[in-house]
Amino acid sequence: MDKLRTNNEKLSDSTLWNQLRSGDEEAFSLLFERYYSPLVNYGKTLMSESDIVKDCVQDVFVNIWSYRYKLNDAIAIRAYLLSCVRKRIARYHEREHIFSKVKDVDSLDFLFDFSIEEQLIADETMAIKVQHLNRLINYLPTRQKEALYLRYHQGLSVEQVAEVLNMNYQSTKNLLHRAILQLRKDFPISVLALFVEFSINH
Amino acid sequence: MQNRNSYKKIEDFLSDESFQRWVRRNEDLTHWEEWTLESTERAKLVEEARLWILAMKVEETEISNEETQLALQKTWESIAQSNKRSPIKVIWQSNWFKSAAAMIVIGLTTLIYFTSETKIATNTTITYQELVEKDSDGLIEQTNNSDKPQLITLSDASSVLLQPKSKLSYPKTFTGNERKVYLSGEGFFEISKDPKKPFYVYANETITKVYGTSFRVVAYSNQPNVEVLVRTGKVKVSSNQDIKNAPIEEVMLLPNQAARFLRKKLLFEKILDITQDKPLLATTNSIEQLSFEFKDIPVSQIFRTIEQGYLVSIDYPTEKLNSCYLTTSLSDEPLPEKLKIICESLGNNTRYEMNGNHIIIISNGCN
Repeated sequence: MDKLRTNNEKLSDSTLWNQLRSGDEEAFSLLFERYYSPLVNYGKTLMSESDIVKDCVQDVFVNIWSYRYKLNDAIAIRAYLLSCVRKRIARYHEREHIFSKVKDVDSLDFLFDFSIEEQLIADETMAIKVQHLNRLINYLPTRQKEALYLRYHQGLSVEQVAEVLNMNYQSTKNLLHRAILQLRKDFPISVLALFVEFSINH
Repeated sequence: MQNRNSYKKIEDFLSDESFQRWVRRNEDLTHWEEWTLESTERAKLVEEARLWILAMKVEETEISNEETQLALQKTWESIAQSNKRSPIKVIWQSNWFKSAAAMIVIGLTTLIYFTSETKIATNTTITYQELVEKDSDGLIEQTNNSDKPQLITLSDASSVLLQPKSKLSYPKTFTGNERKVYLSGEGFFEISKDPKKPFYVYANETITKVYGTSFRVVAYSNQPNVEVLVRTGKVKVSSNQDIKNAPIEEVMLLPNQAARFLRKKLLFEKILDITQDKPLLATTNSIEQLSFEFKDIPVSQIFRTIEQGYLVSIDYPTEKLNSCYLTTSLSDEPLPEKLKIICESLGNNTRYEMNGNHIIIISNGCN
């Protein structure tokens, strides 16, 4: 067991997953340690009460252990865990309003706002542009924002984003593409071209 | 992964981890810098992608090791507890069973819901009439046939200024966990704050959801667009899920932002700068132009502003309130709330009575 722990960094998700599936408690704990923080952070983008988010993430792990022998082997662990957390939070909302048709997995609101990499901004012109773009991104519909977050922050593939958001592949692809297309339209290239020339001459 | 020489879209760069590392941490193991300078076209794309990455920072609070360990311990305890239960009990008490039961209930209700809605769902337009017929609660309908805005006060002390040729349907009293009203035409809404009971305005194909704020909805059945303009607070506008074959679209709006729903395309257009939008400006109402921020102002003037804004008449003991001055901010309040705040500031012997468009202030003067 100690050997497993010291090698934590080296063991891949899927190795740990397979050991967990055969009932290895240490593998379960290692996966928990690896994913608890990122999952809580993701959960907080969907619900502001962080205590409930933490409970939800723990519930997800309780269920994983309870059904360990029935888990699928060939899955993308990160996407699977993110999607479990999302469902869990949706279910929490659902239970809160069980007889009103308000929340389901599809209508969870992504509450998160992207911020700006201040320390990487070289000059005033760039600062203005990044601020403008940041504002446009944050004004996107919540679903598009969440798709961008999952695709580019969590590093999921388009298929995996589709799975987490419970959408089909093509609509997810369109959703992601539309978000960027729309903003590029709002964010004139001419302004950019000027900037590019400037930075090349620089 | 795709070869970077074939990158043509911003997306290609954003999803490339080594590109992200180069921008974020200046790690350039694969010589992005050189590669970028090989062509101007490329440099353009790279610079744009760089801006995207800089504008999409995700700030997260890392959970400490100690906290993670505690959580892990708690999780093992929950696992041990769920194992202790007898098998039958586990089924009944397991979250799986509960949620499966919940899913069946939800499944049934949606099934009933949708089968009863098939009539409406044959077309992508949704009319006021269809919406009102669908609501089973007894609704009151108010139609403004006059040529001036008409004030409606709802049971939760929210107020609505209904424009001419417009209709509003609402329940006599709001029950349950939501407040729902239906609009045809144009109205300016000031909603009393109640975080537990969201307020919904159904208008044509759109649903506006708020907890307490002021905003305008323009939804005439014979016009191509639906417009929602926010004055205070935060508002979510979405398309009605009953529109056939269309995904739900939604936008979040902050003060002085607006959304226009294009009914033909079933899409929202977000308007970030309302001062540049001609169609919106053309229909600005007097109440939205009046300021309800008062600093040391005679109460008679405050009453006059309210009379202008809501088209009501106010009777008050002129002499007794002659020397009363108030400093107060009433912008984000529906009319009943505004009156309540004024009465309270004048002193505890002051109260108001409201009879349709007529308001009487009963007071012995201010403190």
